[in-house]
Amino acid sequence: MSALYRILKYAAILLWSAFVIAPFLWALTTSFKTANGITGGPTYIPWLQYQPSLEGWRLLFRSGGGGIQIGGPYLDSLIVTISASLISLVLGTLAAYGLSRFTFRAGFVRNADITFFFISQRIMPPVVLAIPFFLMLQFLGLLDTKFGLIIVYIALLMPIAVWVMVDFFNTVPRELDESAMLDGCSPFETFWRVILPNSKPGLVVAGLFCLIFGWNDFFFAFTLTFTQTQLLPVAIVALNSSVTPWWSLSAAALVSVAPLVAVAFVLESYLSRGNLAGAIR
Amino acid sequence: MSADRSKFVFVLPGLIVLVAIILFPLLFTIRVSFSDWDVARPGLDWIGATNYLRLVHDTRFWESFGRLALMAVGSVLLQYMLGFGLALLVWREVRARRFFRVLFLIPMMTTPVIMAVIWRTMFHESLGPVNDLVRLLHFAPLPWLSQAGLAMMSIITVEVWQWTPFMFLMLLAGLLSLPREPFLAAAIDGAGPIRTFLRVTFPMMAPISIGAIIIRLIEASKILDSVYVITSGGPGTATETSSYYIFIRGLRDFQVGYAAALSFTYLVIMAISLTIIAKVLARAMLVRDRA
Amino acid sequence: MSLVATELTRRVDGVVHLDSVSCVLERGRFYVVVGPTLSGKTSLLHALAGLDAPDIGTITFDGADLAAVPVWSRSVSMVYQQFINYPHLTVYDNIAFPLRRRRLAHAEIESRVRAIAETVSLTPFLERLPGALSGGQQQRVALARSLVKGSDLLLLDEPLINLDYKLREQLREEFLNIFSAQSRSILVYTTAEPNEALLFGAEVLVMHEGRLLQVGSAQSVYARPATATVARIFSDPPMNLVPGSLDDAALRLGDDVRLPRPRHFGPLPPGPYVFGIHPGDIAPNPSGIAAEVELAEISGSETFLHVHHAEMRLVAHLSGVYAYALGENVQIALDGAKLFAFTPDGELAAAPTSGG
Repeated sequence: MSALYRILKYAAILLWSAFVIAPFLWALTTSFKTANGITGGPTYIPWLQYQPSLEGWRLLFRSGGGGIQIGGPYLDSLIVTISASLISLVLGTLAAYGLSRFTFRAGFVRNADITFFFISQRIMPPVVLAIPFFLMLQFLGLLDTKFGLIIVYIALLMPIAVWVMVDFFNTVPRELDESAMLDGCSPFETFWRVILPNSKPGLVVAGLFCLIFGWNDFFFAFTLTFTQTQLLPVAIVALNSSVTPWWSLSAAALVSVAPLVAVAFVLESYLSRGNLAGAIR
Repeated sequence: MSADRSKFVFVLPGLIVLVAIILFPLLFTIRVSFSDWDVARPGLDWIGATNYLRLVHDTRFWESFGRLALMAVGSVLLQYMLGFGLALLVWREVRARRFFRVLFLIPMMTTPVIMAVIWRTMFHESLGPVNDLVRLLHFAPLPWLSQAGLAMMSIITVEVWQWTPFMFLMLLAGLLSLPREPFLAAAIDGAGPIRTFLRVTFPMMAPISIGAIIIRLIEASKILDSVYVITSGGPGTATETSSYYIFIRGLRDFQVGYAAALSFTYLVIMAISLTIIAKVLARAMLVRDRA
Repeated sequence: MSLVATELTRRVDGVVHLDSVSCVLERGRFYVVVGPTLSGKTSLLHALAGLDAPDIGTITFDGADLAAVPVWSRSVSMVYQQFINYPHLTVYDNIAFPLRRRRLAHAEIESRVRAIAETVSLTPFLERLPGALSGGQQQRVALARSLVKGSDLLLLDEPLINLDYKLREQLREEFLNIFSAQSRSILVYTTAEPNEALLFGAEVLVMHEGRLLQVGSAQSVYARPATATVARIFSDPPMNLVPGSLDDAALRLGDDVRLPRPRHFGPLPPGPYVFGIHPGDIAPNPSGIAAEVELAEISGSETFLHVHHAEMRLVAHLSGVYAYALGENVQIALDGAKLFAFTPDGELAAAPTSGG
């Protein structure tokens, strides 16, 4: 490797790193500004270019005047995302195991077609579903409730769980299932006592993907909830009006993306171990 | 319970839930698209194909497709090239590679709509840092969000920032699972880095590349959130995508019947074009494999 | 007291896995299924275990049809060629697993697990996870798990094939001791190596392309293979087969090799035959047939010499290490007293008298 090549390589890595970090650094410095620090044009360094203030961060817990009262939306987001992810993971893992291990035949439909049906739901654009979802939840009296949103998110997340887990189960040797059955386990006991305890890598990756896509959804929360239930992205975008309080907006943005940044570390550790799907041995 | 019956216990709960949540709304959408349901007269009357005849002449709808194609294909291609490049950079022999890998993954974990709000402040014509950088390079500040071409570029930039990590993740996972032997063989043949890439790395990465590109194209074709936050489709309709236009018709103007017709048409066109793209990509990239 | 399989047939996506296989397996006896890869050995074990239902055919045990009995209610154990154990359980818990499924008393489980662990020399490793053990030890765990429940039917699917040569010999020895103590189970062991069947001295079932070709003691199958196919499968390296003809005085091999008519052919009528000879019954001899060396493989202290004379190709199995150059001319002799004769469609017509 020539010296020039090395320099170019590290330059490229650092350049992209700067691009990745820029919005976070900008949000961080903006969160300590007040109106004065913003209207004069872009500034970056506290004390030197502007007088830092904790106002933006204090507004996270206040209402009115740029306040956002982030506690409620944060809790709502956690409840909805975690419940929907867990339910999707349970249903998706069961379905994936069934599709990976048993043969289904109904007319021209085979296992691959059922798997495709599960996964293909990701192709459905949210906007196509929004109106029927709206009317469906209205009919059920679940509009503007966490429960209604959880139902919708299950449809969004289960395809992801099925996709990851079918791939995972296909890497688990069938002889393991057979051994368990020969040792006296019914199919459900086989799944519960033998397969599930050995599926941690798959479950972690599937669960993380569900959490990411659930936590990051905006559109359904935006169209299906209004005042009783408010998820984080909706609460933050609500601040994005003509006179945006950039300071509290930035603080709120940082607080709400922080938990999933931790996910990047977990995902990378699975990546480094060789295979994202994760093999059993 | 026999094995034959218990297999349904595994698959049916998920299948029933999904069919109930998705299939019903889809069938409902198709039915509504033949009705005149709007804010004044909500209800399932029957007006035949009127909505479909109307959308044939709706140039705003068809223009939104062109923009969507430009935005989706442009940003996904950029994401693919950048993601592949980055994956190759931190594949091996780099200091602190695990740190950079984590860093490169982070944008994908963040909420698109929230980061779009931050990007919107960055693109602000007079108060944002992007134009500060432009000034630093001795150019005149640019109206990033209020001029058609620039607004499109801004959205593509944000999309690239957000989703290049996904390509990076898929391609790095692919690179890390490649066998070593072909590279040894290439090294023994005295192939340089470029030849090795073209003859060994790229062909072996073709299947996962196709998969990653298709997944991203599917997701990109649904783009709505970031457009809503960054430009609201503007200036005028310069960045209005199909999803966004349907959103305006259905959930702003509440022309439910017409929006349903638009939705169904959009879904069919998407399914067809994505299938064609998948076939073409598979042929283009896998033929190289054999060459 | 026996397991009876009748006309088991199974196809998967048009490929025949089992073709009308019938056999009777008695308690307390040891059966070795011999056949090349994809001959249907594993399919047969899967069918006997109840893991795969045959398309046609029945399996009864002590007269009762097993078709309606699910796998998990049967009394069957299986050891696979891959080392299959439960990765999340310790060796102790692995061995105890089948006993716990049967809800045996705690003390009973403990004593059984310890006893079986002692038999297969695993006592020092009981608290380890299988992943931390060597391949041979992992296979001992799988064996212990299959033995501990005292199943009526114990199936072993090429259990030694993934082990290295030395370990294989050692475990084979131990297996033999353990199996001879299993007086009430039916043991079925598959292998691609006829020598393994001969070493075990068990009842042999020869399989090929999903069909059961011959059943008998290892020695009898070796001495009198029913067909040329069995003769090739049940010989390592495979028996040499050469087309030729027989008249009242002489035997012809290929175009120009003439041998005196062997005495053990008895009243065999003249005509075309396929003659067979074990590679061990061919040796270099200055007065033999002129042949050219194609390949000389040396394996351990044995040499496999591949030669040809015109169109006739032969493999000789020599004990000892010999160096031959490729293309070298050698003289080899076939021992006429060791020749087998098969009819042109492969049926055994005459075999050497045993003891030779």
